[in-house]
Amino acid sequence: MTGPLPPRLERELRSVVGADHVITDPDRLMVYESDGLTAYRVAPRAVVLPASTEEVSEVVRLLHGADIEIVPRGAGTGLSGGALPTPDGVIVGTARMNKILSIDAADRLALVQPGVVNARLTEATRPHGLYYAPDPSSQSTCTLGGNVAENSGGPHCLKYGVTSRYVTGLTVVMAGGEVVRLGGAGHEASGELDLVGLFVGSEGCFGIATEIEVRLLPLTEGVRTLLGIFDTMEAAGHAVTSIIGSGLMPAAVEIIDKATIEAVEASIFAAGYPTDAGAALVIEFDGTEAGLDADADRAERCCLREGAREVRRASSETERAALWKGRKKAFGAMGRIAPDLLVQDATVPRTRLPEVLAEISRIGERYGLKIANVFHAGDGNLHPNLLFDRTDAEELARVEKASHEIMSLCVAVGGTITGEHGVGVDKRGYMGLVHDEVELDMLRRVRRVFDPGGLFNPGKVVPDAVDAGALPEVSEVAS
Amino acid sequence: MAQAYEAQRERLLPCVHCGFCLPACPTYNRLGDEADSPRGRLHLMGAVVEGRLDPASDAFQTHIDRCLGCRACEPVCPSGVEYGALLELARATATEARPPGVLTRGLLALMGRPLLRKPFLLSGRILRATGLAALATRVIPSRGPLASVRLALAMLDATRPWSPEAAEGRRTSESRAVPRRDRALSPGDAPPNRGRVGVMLGCVQAGLYSRVNEATVRTLEANGYEVVTVAGQDCCGALHAHAGRLDGARALAENNIVAFERAGVDFIAANAAGCGAAMKDYDVLFEADAAMSARAAASSERVRDVTELLASAGPRPGAEVRLSVAYDHPCHLLHAQGVSGPPISVLEAVPGVEVRVIVDADECCGGAGIYGLTHPDLGARIGGDKVAAVRAASAQVACTANPGCMMQIGAGLRLEGSSQAVVHPVEVLDESYRRAGFYH
Amino acid sequence: MIAAQPLSDLLPPEALASVDSSPLFGGRPPEAIVRPASVEEVAALLSWASREGVGVLTMASGHRVAPVTREGRFVALRMDRLNAIEAYEAADLTITAGAGAPFSSVTRALGENDQWAPFDPADVAARSLGGLVAAGESGPLRMGYGELRNHVLGARVVTGDGRTLDLGGRVVKNVAGFDVLKAVVGSRGGLAAITSVCLRAFPRPEVDRVLVRTEPTVRAAAGLALAVGTAPVLPASCVVVDRLSERGERAALVVRLHGSRATVDEEQVRMERHVGVPFEVVGDVGTGADAASSESTRRLLEGVRDHVKSDGTVVVASVRPSRLPRLLEVVDRLGPLALSCDAYTGLVRVEADPERITELDLLRRDVIALDGAIRQERISSTAMRGSADPLSPHDDRRDASAAGRTALARRLETAFDPAGALWPART
Ligand SMILES: Cc1cc2nc3c(=O)[nH]c(=O)nc-3n(C[C@H](O)[C@H](O)[C@H](O)COP(=O)(O)OP(=O)(O)OC[C@H]3O[C@@H](n4cnc5c(N)ncnc54)[C@H](O)[C@@H]3O)c2cc1C
Ligand SMILES: Cc1cc2nc3c(=O)[nH]c(=O)nc-3n(C[C@H](O)[C@H](O)[C@H](O)COP(=O)(O)OP(=O)(O)OC[C@H]3O[C@@H](n4cnc5c(N)ncnc54)[C@H](O)[C@@H]3O)c2cc1C
Ligand code: SF4
Ligand code: SF4
Repeated sequence: MTGPLPPRLERELRSVVGADHVITDPDRLMVYESDGLTAYRVAPRAVVLPASTEEVSEVVRLLHGADIEIVPRGAGTGLSGGALPTPDGVIVGTARMNKILSIDAADRLALVQPGVVNARLTEATRPHGLYYAPDPSSQSTCTLGGNVAENSGGPHCLKYGVTSRYVTGLTVVMAGGEVVRLGGAGHEASGELDLVGLFVGSEGCFGIATEIEVRLLPLTEGVRTLLGIFDTMEAAGHAVTSIIGSGLMPAAVEIIDKATIEAVEASIFAAGYPTDAGAALVIEFDGTEAGLDADADRAERCCLREGAREVRRASSETERAALWKGRKKAFGAMGRIAPDLLVQDATVPRTRLPEVLAEISRIGERYGLKIANVFHAGDGNLHPNLLFDRTDAEELARVEKASHEIMSLCVAVGGTITGEHGVGVDKRGYMGLVHDEVELDMLRRVRRVFDPGGLFNPGKVVPDAVDAGALPEVSEVAS
Repeated sequence: MAQAYEAQRERLLPCVHCGFCLPACPTYNRLGDEADSPRGRLHLMGAVVEGRLDPASDAFQTHIDRCLGCRACEPVCPSGVEYGALLELARATATEARPPGVLTRGLLALMGRPLLRKPFLLSGRILRATGLAALATRVIPSRGPLASVRLALAMLDATRPWSPEAAEGRRTSESRAVPRRDRALSPGDAPPNRGRVGVMLGCVQAGLYSRVNEATVRTLEANGYEVVTVAGQDCCGALHAHAGRLDGARALAENNIVAFERAGVDFIAANAAGCGAAMKDYDVLFEADAAMSARAAASSERVRDVTELLASAGPRPGAEVRLSVAYDHPCHLLHAQGVSGPPISVLEAVPGVEVRVIVDADECCGGAGIYGLTHPDLGARIGGDKVAAVRAASAQVACTANPGCMMQIGAGLRLEGSSQAVVHPVEVLDESYRRAGFYH
Repeated sequence: MIAAQPLSDLLPPEALASVDSSPLFGGRPPEAIVRPASVEEVAALLSWASREGVGVLTMASGHRVAPVTREGRFVALRMDRLNAIEAYEAADLTITAGAGAPFSSVTRALGENDQWAPFDPADVAARSLGGLVAAGESGPLRMGYGELRNHVLGARVVTGDGRTLDLGGRVVKNVAGFDVLKAVVGSRGGLAAITSVCLRAFPRPEVDRVLVRTEPTVRAAAGLALAVGTAPVLPASCVVVDRLSERGERAALVVRLHGSRATVDEEQVRMERHVGVPFEVVGDVGTGADAASSESTRRLLEGVRDHVKSDGTVVVASVRPSRLPRLLEVVDRLGPLALSCDAYTGLVRVEADPERITELDLLRRDVIALDGAIRQERISSTAMRGSADPLSPHDDRRDASAAGRTALARRLETAFDPAGALWPART
């Protein structure tokens, strides 16, 4: 059922969260029709913004009672349409649940509400000499609830690992409104199944995380950043393999390809990378000051041995920012050269990077599309950016075909269809590339373990037979 | 309208909907509704341009109106979306579709016409001088129909001149060595000539903060600038542009462009961040006007915040003023002009001054023109947080580089019963120079 | 009714070991010991078992097996023939091997390229890869390297009803869909039989420095361990043992620092400054270290790792690290014969005095009061008799959501193993 909520339900919701925090005006709801993936637009029936676990529980109970679908939403920066509304559904947003509940410096733990912005947790813990390690490029805005749901990674996750390594406990509101506490520091010995590990990465399909307990790390003392400029992507790829293979443990290794360098340098964000370079590599080491220079020297030698034409090194924070600039501004720069941007996400074994990138550029040529690559090379986590204009339906169709080929390619070399952005709606169609029907069925069963009625984020991740078609195809909405 | 839509369409394109601007936005942070976030507002603008949303709708009107215009969303945007320019266009669309409330209209009428503005500001000065404003602030209840009046009067009272000695915790000396209106007379080693400067006097400054204008002139001269009087200048037009009255803004802007051209200055110094930001954007205002665009661009090129001019000259140090200063960044300096260092350099140039940048200094104080009057609840929440941060810095004076913010923060302090002075950085420098005897 | 199908119809004779050769299983032998050589055979066995209502006890090397306290038919599934190193991509830092491969053989293969898998739970050397993953214990090295579950990149598993699933993959970020693999890691054979595992490998650190500080009591050593835990460095591991024979049977804190020599030197200084006491450098393991001292250091490390003897009555308990001193008081009532404690996770393992294991239920209350958990992990064969599934997990928190948690776990088991074929099933 679509359309306005039953008046009584609306009243009850308002009495739970406060009248201002239930949005039902269709004009206002328009604002929620997309997340970070704008190729899709679906307006929800309502948006509810609770402020506490109790309120979430009550809201979910009411919606469950009325058999209304629920789409959790954090900052809406997801790139796979995870927070895309369903036409029959209500968005439960965490924007007001933005408190850091406690910081336990002795045990290096923090307890936060899900709407806390990733970077803010690090800011708040820095005075204790601690920080929160996973650093998605969107960390200045994405929420920890979204990070948990997507099991987000980031440039420095090469050394430090992704979100799941840091989440020790969760409070979750389940489909009927029941509140369940999963895991929790100090419960190692319980020997129970790892429900926290299973919940992390569940893309809003299992329930709503309302409290998140995370591990913090001691602040690193020093950092060295290198920028290697290469004539070819191939050489840069080999340098990555050589650095990792030499036993070094860089904190981050990021690749920026030729197309991206051109885009950045042509934009208002020019970072001073040579425009005729074939690829640039940002390599970073962090940790105890002693030893960093030696690591940087070794990495530099690896780059030069693989044919780097130049290796720049930053020793101050300003210089470091300058070296990172081309990486950090790539997304915005691309936003300026094309009306629409599809940020793809896939992983391949690191050693296969050069051949995969070469093939991706051939795919781009074949479909007449501009594809720029900027990504977490150390993890083999690719982000091909497909530039297009969504008002051009024919171009959009080519984007879809090219995406499909890229995904098939990554799977064929032993990789998978998503590294950190999740499946959401965008990748549902590719799930068949990595999972057979038995596995897909297993994923459905696991989802029903948490949400027997299929209330949370229906149609995302694994399409049920009944759900298929619940969400419009990309070309439909965009045309 | 078609033209306004076209201008918006172009500027909306770079927005990739990434949401990086959300946490920078004071209204989103407090309300949690994406419609009150920059991305949400841009989305609504897009919907209007695409013809999916009626500009007269409550959604468009409310959320565009609720924007502080603080432009904190601009520097964080990876795509360089020109939010400020878009907001003005959106406000134009919104006012066209539905005329604004009487309060806004009245104020704009007032500011746009010197003949009305001058007596209004004069009556304000009288209220302030008689102490009536301060008294009324104390007697009018904080809730109820007169709350807005109370706020307005507190703002007025906040504009009173400060006493540096009192702020330092000393007794006020009987006679001030220099009459405040004196010009800077540079002693012995005359500083190099750094160029010819016309000071944008502004309407609120000229009316209520003449002392800031005077200090601006003196400190610039003391640093080697040749300051000339620019006759015929008027309100910068920012209030009009922010309210969507782009034609009104253009009329004022054109007048100013002409006036400063005639004065033949190298720099136009603004000491109100709002005016400076507006004048630096004259080029955008006239981008579609073939006749004016080049002149507007040349004019924008010349605009500097007074602290930029002072900082690029050093500024030369004066005598000691022993003060701790709680500094807050004005949005229209930090976000709109990207100026953060110079005001602090100006303060730090004064021996004895200890600058404490307050917590969340990059967030709007809620002043935003008459925001506190048009959005009392939200304005009070935003303002309340700012005042709390100022007080937490426990400094002797509060300081910011924009009269609007000085008024807003001062009013917030007054309403909480604090009489802490709120000053402009040039006032502190000026005091230091006065003590150093630069003005003899 | 369909007639019962004999196993010999399904599996080749090599896959069926004779039963009488095994003195295991707490006195009640299984109907058969199945030693499959392929995932297909495992699948055939499990679907047969689900159909026939026969229990399957999965074991890896067969080194150690759960006691059979349940009624009913059952077979033992041994993974020891699935022991090949299937793929080792040194440049990608991944290794894939059969579940029955001894962990020691995985370590050996990695060592050829100066790589390793940094997991050090007790007896790791004697474990199978599948058993290690099924047990889900990372050991104290998780302080520096993170949990095992995050480094199990992929696994091929067969569910209780015989469905074969490829979970995860062979790349570091490997999850498309829900992270079902995380639930299998640590499920102790309760969800699925693991047939092969892809692990993330790590380059060996240039220097593995082992530092020891002896103290008169465990409590004192634990106090220092907590101080290490707040130092501005992140050691690879930080363990307390109640006795270290090499150091005159005194309690000891053992800290490992990994990295380049310069880093390790600096971190040692910093840690000692923070903690306020000097440590004894037992030695460096790794390139450049002198071979003899390296060997004796390695032996000391193994002693620490396997300090809590594997054949006793083992109890594990955990609290947040800052509450360790209080937990140590509590477990003291078990009259520990041996105790070790991972200061990073707040996990304590004790070999309890079998006479005093009856105290366990009393201790439970105190541990719950500390918001911790306690569970019997191993039981000596004498103590085992008569007790019903003493090793089932105990999540003792009696908070409002305990029922919800249990329900989730049970539903998850049903999703994997609808017929409940996998033993030991939980009560
Ligand atoms: C420019 C840019 C760069 C990015 N870089 C990275 C990167 O480096 N690494 C990376 O991993 N990702 C990256 N992302 C993707 C995105 O930022 C992450 O997926 C992020 O974790 C999403 O957080 P969010 O708060 O925006 O969640 P949303 O987008 O609002 O939601 C994401 C999913 O989480 C669910 N969800 C949200 N909150 C909860 C909750 N409390 N409980 C249960 N489910 C919930 C939603 O239903 C949805 O399925 C990037 C995105 C952008 C725009
Ligand atoms: C009664 C009892 C007595 C014990 N006694 C001892 C003892 O005396 N000494 C000792 O060291 N340990 C003992 N244990 C503990 C247990 O065996 C350890 O976890 C062991 O160290 C793991 O070694 P392994 O690799 O050989 O796995 P196993 O011992 O074979 O199995 C360990 C666990 O993992 C599961 N498992 C193993 N392989 C797989 C697979 N491929 N797929 C799915 N699940 C699998 C098993 O079902 C079991 O639950 C005992 C346990 C029980 C129940
Ligand atoms: S940060 Fe910029 S590009 Fe991103 S949503 Fe906001 S305005 Fe759009
Ligand atoms: S100008 Fe200020 S209030 Fe308006 S959208 Fe931008 S950040 Fe928010």
